[in-house]
Amino acid sequence: MGSNLLSAQDRQTLVNVVYAAFPHSTFPRGPYERAADAVIAAAGTDPRFLAQLLQGLTDLNAQREVPFAELDVETAGAVLRGADGSPFLTGIVDSAVVTLYSDPEVWDLLGYEGPSYDQGGYVNRGFDDLDWLPDPKIEFEEEVPA
Amino acid sequence: MTRFSYDDSDVVVVVGSGAGGGTVANELCQRGLKTVVLEAGPHLTGDDYHQDEWPAFAQMAWGDTRTTSGSWQVAKDFPNLPAWLVKAVGGTTTHWAGACPRFKAHEFTARSTYGDLDGTSLLDWPIALNELEPYYDKAEIKMGVTHRHGRPPLPANNNYKVFANGAEKLGYRYYSTGPYATNAEPYDGRPATLQDGFNFQGDKHGSKWSTLVAELPKAEKTGNLDLRPDSHVAQIEHDAAGRATGVLYIDRNGTLRRQRAAVVVVAGNSIETARLLLLSGSAQHPDGLANSSGQVGRNYMRHTTGTVWGQFDKPVRMWRGETMAGVIADESRLDTDRGFVGGYYMETISLGPAFLAKFIAPGRWGSHISDLLDNYRNTAGMWIVGEDMPREDNRVTLSGDTVDQHGLPVANVHFDDHPNDAAMRAHGQRQGASVYKAVGALKTIETPPYPSTHNLGTARMSQRPRDGVVDRYGRAHDVPNLFIADGSVFTTGAAANPTLTIVALATRQAEFIATELNKTLS
Repeated sequence: MGSNLLSAQDRQTLVNVVYAAFPHSTFPRGPYERAADAVIAAAGTDPRFLAQLLQGLTDLNAQREVPFAELDVETAGAVLRGADGSPFLTGIVDSAVVTLYSDPEVWDLLGYEGPSYDQGGYVNRGFDDLDWLPDPKIEFEEEVPA
Repeated sequence: MTRFSYDDSDVVVVVGSGAGGGTVANELCQRGLKTVVLEAGPHLTGDDYHQDEWPAFAQMAWGDTRTTSGSWQVAKDFPNLPAWLVKAVGGTTTHWAGACPRFKAHEFTARSTYGDLDGTSLLDWPIALNELEPYYDKAEIKMGVTHRHGRPPLPANNNYKVFANGAEKLGYRYYSTGPYATNAEPYDGRPATLQDGFNFQGDKHGSKWSTLVAELPKAEKTGNLDLRPDSHVAQIEHDAAGRATGVLYIDRNGTLRRQRAAVVVVAGNSIETARLLLLSGSAQHPDGLANSSGQVGRNYMRHTTGTVWGQFDKPVRMWRGETMAGVIADESRLDTDRGFVGGYYMETISLGPAFLAKFIAPGRWGSHISDLLDNYRNTAGMWIVGEDMPREDNRVTLSGDTVDQHGLPVANVHFDDHPNDAAMRAHGQRQGASVYKAVGALKTIETPPYPSTHNLGTARMSQRPRDGVVDRYGRAHDVPNLFIADGSVFTTGAAANPTLTIVALATRQAEFIATELNKTLS
């Protein structure tokens, strides 16, 4: 995977791009790094996208006085919006939206419990534990009107 | 495992193993008829399925390229994925959730009821509800549908509690956890649900009815079923007299095989069924097999759909439990004063973070997406599903240049929303948001239609041969021993999720085929 054309600095920039695209203040850097690495892996099998990625990261760094990785989150978001719809950013977003939100660490952070079958489902683990509303009826007697 | 000879011309060949094909196959096998089922996809079972959305999608979905055109948003968001269907044994019954409303009487007479609406190709069905009712009963019993024939309802899960309380506050009366084709208690040799979620990902436990776990294993026990997975049908053949003689298919090794047949039943879902008929053109059928009407591929319907999410200040955990075990039926009524014809249902839905992030606003990114995901735990979801209008130019055609891995032209799906569809979607999303606001939603979010899971109408039933492709039994007007058994035959779409009706029609069709075949064979 990967390409020796992408520097460690490029990778760090890419991690920041993924963060700017899907900013969660509660997430550590790990899930963003894994999402960035999946983008790099995809680029490793797609020379056209790799070229767009290299050029796109260079372009992002030239948008402000300081490199992209040093921008605050609002400014980074604004810079990224300038690239919206480009093959460069679309390629990153389409990959990262899958990887980031399929990451078990992210699931934990969001409170999502993931696969349940090995634990016997939720039949005895709270499928109906919502207690801030009354228990509703689950059937009705009459026919639904035509 | 039974095997019939390639040259055995007494067999019935069924193309596709989903709701239509799997049901017809079992019904024929039970009647002692030799049946060969050709399924394009692999034979996956419970152990194979992933409770992880993207790997499950990669494993199950029909991912072969298709193309799209038209003004519908799916063409923009998912240009090569017009439909979310399964390519595996069991077809899309392994993906469906289980919602089982019946059609209403007036939905079989859409043209007479709604009138001559501009820009539609509305037509009355050649059958009426009362003819189908006995088969609805059979289908519900077969599928173990909750709330019907003594089957108990499923309990309320968390997502349903929010949905139902909102419905009550809004003044809706007809809300319930079904009818739903998943076992609340053991039934028909299959276990009760573990409330493990992942209904769309195959259902590892087998408590959901599918042809994979119910119809096909029963058919196999008769010794009359020859199930061939990884078998992609490329062409239906016919003789000079105009009768189908069998099919040509590509087997798992890439070898083209011929299976002869007394009867061919096509059930590849609306996109592939139309594609196969169009690919089966000949000198006698220059515009595609069974297409003298020019109606093959036309009148493609996908239901008017949309999703509404409500976010609260307390946990919902919508992913726990049965995904779609909740329905509000009030808006399914006949009431043309709402600014549109046709009705719609609201049904609970849940997506995991991976699919929610992808589908909530396809292609979009930014803090408005990540903020929604931050509240994932506190999110409830519902799907809107309603009757869409058939239009002559909403159609499946063969794509000009794009071919699949076998060199066969792929299907292009063209769709333009009718203004009626847009009005219904807006109404549904507004009402859906009101349901959640009634129980304190801090925020509601509307999601545009997903790639279509309800694909209908491309070989529609008609009284007159010039108006459609098949007759009241799903028999091709042009080819006496060719039948269509999937949602392609729907003359109009109604509001109901289509699977129950497909199973009812397929059960009725199999009875007809068996009667006809026994006449010729005896």
